[in-house]
Amino acid sequence: MFLATTISTTLLAKGLMIGGGFIGPGIGIGLIGGNYLQAVGRNPEAAKFLGQALIFVAIVELFGLLAFASIFII
Amino acid sequence: MIFKLFASSGPVVYISPKVIFHLGHIPITNSIFYGWLVFIFVIVFLIYVAHRVKIKPARGIIQLIEYAFEFIINLINTSFEDKNKAKKYQPYFITLFLIILINNEFELFPFAGEAFKSMGWPLLRPFTADLNATFAMAAITMGYVYYSSVKESGGFRKYLGHFFVGSPFNPLYLIIGILEMTTDLTRVFSLSLRLFLNVTIGEIVIGVFSYLGQFLAPISALPFSLIEVFIMALQAYIFTVLSVMYLAIVVNHASEKEVQTA
Repeated sequence: MFLATTISTTLLAKGLMIGGGFIGPGIGIGLIGGNYLQAVGRNPEAAKFLGQALIFVAIVELFGLLAFASIFII
Repeated sequence: MIFKLFASSGPVVYISPKVIFHLGHIPITNSIFYGWLVFIFVIVFLIYVAHRVKIKPARGIIQLIEYAFEFIINLINTSFEDKNKAKKYQPYFITLFLIILINNEFELFPFAGEAFKSMGWPLLRPFTADLNATFAMAAITMGYVYYSSVKESGGFRKYLGHFFVGSPFNPLYLIIGILEMTTDLTRVFSLSLRLFLNVTIGEIVIGVFSYLGQFLAPISALPFSLIEVFIMALQAYIFTVLSVMYLAIVVNHASEKEVQTA
């Protein structure tokens, strides 16, 4: 049986930061992809807007990457 | 037994560039050193391509560069309403795109990283995996964008007028306008941080997965390297398209007003 004598708050903070930080961009990219597919399904001509959808993916992705970068400074 | 398979130390991760030698009293970091090598390659390679371009298209890598040129030219032409103005801004953004693209793709070569060492640090580090480099690129780009948008809208006061929906003496419009200006100033940071974090985290992901694979490293890191080839090109495209859009919004707004008053 293992009993924790000390709790590493840094590790906990890193885990929480990664978990919380990636939930938002995950939902966001899912919404963008889902709406893009829906638009293509309704109107196949909209398939040419993939480039514009990728720009929004990059904008959303930045916040996840910021959370990932922050774990190195705590 | 299984733990003996894995090394005792974790994957090697570098967030910041390291000083590898001194030129006089100026410290030279590994990322700017690799950046210089890549810049020399870009200049020599593009001069070679420019001499080989003919009306009858040549085969090979020249066609790829021509395709990249036309891709960015089309992007700029569709963003600007006025075609003459679009032609004026093409050279800068094509340069920006090609430099970021080639610098990003040179990240993936095996000699960039742990292969060569100098003073205990890796000798070559990708140029765009350095916040100083991407911040300099973003600052120069946004400076050029601000300068051109002030010139296109005809004076500094008219440029500031773009931020206000109505009269600036209405308190609500004044607050919205000031908020718009603050978000405008954060563009330098968002552009530079996006490029820097994507490249650096790509490096870290490849490093972590080649560490987990140990002697199977070529197999475990291969899919992530292939994704990186795509992501690096995408990031170069996004940096260019966002800076084109920041300029195009102001320029299109200015030409719209001219049409309305005429």
